[in-house]
Amino acid sequence: MVDENIKTQAETPAPKLPEQFEIPVLPLQNTTLFPDTVVPLAVGRERSVRAVESALSTEEKLIACITTKTDNMNGDEVKFDDLFQIGTVVNVKRMMRNEGVMQLIVQGMDRFRIVDWMQDQPFLKAKVQMLPPLVVRDGEAVEALKRNIQSMIQQALALLPNIPPEVRMAVMTQNDPVQLAYFLASVLDLGVETEQKMLESESVDGLLTLTHAALARELEIMQIRSKIATEAQTEMDKSQRDYVLRQQMKAIQKELGEDETGEKAEAAQLRERLETADLPDEIRKEAERELKRMEQLPQSAPDYQVIRTYLEYVLELPWKKSSEEKLDLNEARKILDEDHYGLEDIKERILESLAVIKLRPDSKSPILLFVGPPGVGKTSLGRSIARALGREFERMSLGGMRDEAELRGHRRTYIGAMPGRIIQALRRVGVNNPVMMLDEIDKLGNDYRGDPSAALLEILDPQQNNTFRDNYLDLPFDLSKVFFIATANSLGPIPAPLRDRMEIITLSGYSDQEKLNIAKQYLIARQITENGIAEGQLEITDDAINLLTARYTREAGVRQLERTIGNLARKVALKIAEGATDKVTITAADVKGYLGGPRFFPESAREELPPGVATGMAWTEMGGEVLFIEATALPGGSGLTLTGQLGDVMKESAQAARSYLWAHAAEFGIDPDFIKHNGVHVHVPAGAIPKDGPSAGVTMASALASLYTGRKVRSDTAMTGEITLSGLVFPVGGVKEKVLAAHRAGIRRIILPAQNEPDIEDIPEDVRKELEVIPATRVSDVLAAALEKNVDDSVLEQFVLPNRDGTPDVGEPLIAKENNG
Amino acid sequence: MAKSTNRTFQFIGSSKTVRPSERLWYPAADVFQTPEGWMVKVELAGVSVEDVQIDIQGNVLTIAGTRRDKSCAAAGFSYQQLEITYSSFEKTLTFPARIEGARIEHNFEDGLLIIRLWKSEK
Repeated sequence: MVDENIKTQAETPAPKLPEQFEIPVLPLQNTTLFPDTVVPLAVGRERSVRAVESALSTEEKLIACITTKTDNMNGDEVKFDDLFQIGTVVNVKRMMRNEGVMQLIVQGMDRFRIVDWMQDQPFLKAKVQMLPPLVVRDGEAVEALKRNIQSMIQQALALLPNIPPEVRMAVMTQNDPVQLAYFLASVLDLGVETEQKMLESESVDGLLTLTHAALARELEIMQIRSKIATEAQTEMDKSQRDYVLRQQMKAIQKELGEDETGEKAEAAQLRERLETADLPDEIRKEAERELKRMEQLPQSAPDYQVIRTYLEYVLELPWKKSSEEKLDLNEARKILDEDHYGLEDIKERILESLAVIKLRPDSKSPILLFVGPPGVGKTSLGRSIARALGREFERMSLGGMRDEAELRGHRRTYIGAMPGRIIQALRRVGVNNPVMMLDEIDKLGNDYRGDPSAALLEILDPQQNNTFRDNYLDLPFDLSKVFFIATANSLGPIPAPLRDRMEIITLSGYSDQEKLNIAKQYLIARQITENGIAEGQLEITDDAINLLTARYTREAGVRQLERTIGNLARKVALKIAEGATDKVTITAADVKGYLGGPRFFPESAREELPPGVATGMAWTEMGGEVLFIEATALPGGSGLTLTGQLGDVMKESAQAARSYLWAHAAEFGIDPDFIKHNGVHVHVPAGAIPKDGPSAGVTMASALASLYTGRKVRSDTAMTGEITLSGLVFPVGGVKEKVLAAHRAGIRRIILPAQNEPDIEDIPEDVRKELEVIPATRVSDVLAAALEKNVDDSVLEQFVLPNRDGTPDVGEPLIAKENNG
Repeated sequence: MAKSTNRTFQFIGSSKTVRPSERLWYPAADVFQTPEGWMVKVELAGVSVEDVQIDIQGNVLTIAGTRRDKSCAAAGFSYQQLEITYSSFEKTLTFPARIEGARIEHNFEDGLLIIRLWKSEK
């Protein structure tokens, strides 16, 4: 069908609304509807719903939207006066009812002005007048504003990355300035007043100016917003990252079995301990400072562990804790007697110290030094003292220590730093008044690597050690309540200032009688238990013990003796275990069967000494010994030959002896020519053992005098003493050990320097009884006591006497005279 | 992260979901070339013939008109749902050649507006 009526006009007849017409009105709150915008609306109020229904019942589906002047119309009915005069006619495009609320999508058509209100019930209705399109007053200004607005939109869009692309597209391609302005006005939240002003704008210029201003302000806010957002973003990112890492770390720690709340708990625990600990104020202050530092550190910080260890150390130290003294002197004496046989003087000395402590509890503890050969019970004596005092006992060996840091600790700056041995020991015992034994103080190292004895100077000085500062702790600790006992085998290597700080108590060796008693009271019983033999299954006779001490051991102490007894006990244990016997009694005759032949043949008194041989006594670290000095003439020779590993002092004393005899030849009935024309060789066995010291002077003199006079030295006599060139006899040390050794060797006459007489008191009673002690002040006294009266001619005949036709001429012995006088 | 940006977006968009006026109803059209000229099909169901205006200028064909809701007039009717757009429309089609002066014929077939154009015989 061909429609001839269709017009073909040049002008496009836009579907025009009549100029004035009646239309239902939909009041809007907070929203201004602009032409050419599509807006969803929700309509709930009864009048509004009826207005929309009325609009929908028309063919065009048009409704007039108009904004209320105020926002808060809560529930109140909108009156005519509440509404603006200018609004927009819209076409309802979509409608859905949803539980009494109408969801609308409307499209703005054109602006209108209210001419007259028609009704307000059942819905608002008005007569409206459509408004003419906007006029352009200044084309260039409009163009300029439009471009400006477009560039601002570009900036705005750059700040809003998540705007849907179709919106972006629509805004960018919108060329009509009015539509663009209306769109922006509805998108931006400008407030009802501004929006209404824009809607009422009559010219494009005015509209764009308003839009421009609003957009500029909005853009600025957006930029600030965006900046804040970015900053918040980065901050959040960082904290988020930290959080994630921390969570991971926690997970790892948990996996490793470390307490996840360990950091806090540890510090809290330490704080709790710190609060309950009994600390001096100064220490508490320091500890609190460290703890505060620790609480601020993360657990992973290297310092954290350092401080933790440090604080634990500080808290564990017995700053104020002492063990209670139960000082009963009778009890103490009983304990000392129980643990040790003999040593009466030493026990007495110890009891004196304890008595002082009892009377003056705040007095400084004494510092004792036990000097003596190995195995005499120095260490166990220390233990007994601790027991007698009821204090803790802590022993540390200083042997071979060569770094003062071992005593005094390392500064905390070093990795793996630890407190010194003293502080460590105090932590171990947990009280500040233990008996602390410093073993082997004479074996401290002292070289370029350090000098620990210097550190000991402070530790062992009662004036200084109440503020002993360990390098690690760096806090003053009071050591003055510690009972220090040092032990040493000899005094020589101990530096003088250190020696000076200690009270020296010498433990010399035991006599055979003492050893017998010790063996009977302690050693045998102990070895029986240790080897699993029942009491009474092993008996050792006294003779057997004496044989053991004399022939199977050589020592001042009893260690070797105990081992030997242990040896016997084991052999007996074997027999008993095999069932061969039930009870064994070992007599002296049995010993060889068990242990084999005797190991030692101590220098016992020789039956008879030829002229030129004398018995001397020597002191060794093992105790005393007898030694023989042998002299022989070398016919035709000259001078003095000395052998036997003699030290300078000993050599010189030999020379002094010879010179003295030569100078006083006539006095002693010696032919000077004999001395002049015959050389002399002096030898001291055993030749492999180095010997030194001045105390063999009298023995040298006796041996030489014997050689020159031909008179034998009495074989039952031993001697010691230093001589001078003028013939005086000087006192020597180690008398007790020497005499005991001589007694062991079977000697019963002892020649001693007169000034050593008091030392005889030290010799056990049983030994002293059997001895004849001859004091000597001059060499002549010695010779008178040592030499036999009769001249042994056979000796002198061997030697050449050039002036006397081979016949020796022996003057009357002066000794006889002296004996008389 | 998305949240913060969203907030910014909402700030500028305020709470309104406003979109620029696109043509909600822009009826679809097919254009054929025929031995005689052109044929155009436009989806215009429910539009009265009287409400359609066809215009040719140069090589542009414009179809404009309005869809009116006639059924609503019945008393007692009330909308529960509205999805068909009742409003004016304007469809512009551009041809590769001048069509001014062509002979036009149009009619409705099954809700489609069929427009035929014959080349002018001059």
